[in-house]
Amino acid sequence: MLSFLLDSIHPHDIGTILDQEGIAIRTGHHCAQPVMQRFGIAATARASFALYNTREEVDALVEGIQKVREVFA
Amino acid sequence: MPDLRELYQEVILEHSKAPRNYRELATANHRAEGYNPLCGDHFTVYLDLEGDSIRDISFQGSGCAISKASASLMTQSVKGKTRAEADRVFDQFHKLVTGQSPANGNRAELGKLAVFSGVSEFPVRVKCATLAWHTLHAALQGKQQTVSTE
Repeated sequence: MLSFLLDSIHPHDIGTILDQEGIAIRTGHHCAQPVMQRFGIAATARASFALYNTREEVDALVEGIQKVREVFA
Repeated sequence: MPDLRELYQEVILEHSKAPRNYRELATANHRAEGYNPLCGDHFTVYLDLEGDSIRDISFQGSGCAISKASASLMTQSVKGKTRAEADRVFDQFHKLVTGQSPANGNRAELGKLAVFSGVSEFPVRVKCATLAWHTLHAALQGKQQTVSTE
């Protein structure tokens, strides 16, 4: 499981753009507000990998993140 | 499939990066807080009401590009308006982002706010676009309770 931030782009914007690419991640507080407060952040994006995920899907996530950067360039 | 560029229009991206009227308002006589606990968006709207008119308005807080740009454009849109006029713009804006406003309908009153038409294709983002507006509505009514669009 990877929680991440991307520059100053809000996780919900990351989530919407990845969703359009067919990639489902979770964004927001993840019901863990105390941790968000601890790190002084509003929210995170979170990708979870499981046994059934393929290398191609991981590559698609990387490409999707590049796309997020392009939209907010 | 809905077009991302329809959602993230240049005006929206630009306002999210450089929000207008983004400050605490020293002369504020009304204020309200809006908070979406599920996503973490959190705004305070400050109002300087003179009688029935919005003499000045500002906001502060954090949120996604859609919610921040919406708050920024809202402050520009309702400044100088009366309560009733501001509520009317909110009503039209709400119809626009929920897809109840016909594309060929009269959107003249919305002005720049028309850039949010793409939100109607992304139902989960409606709450982002309307948080600041619900907060403004509460501030106009003098409500103390924190507003939520969840």
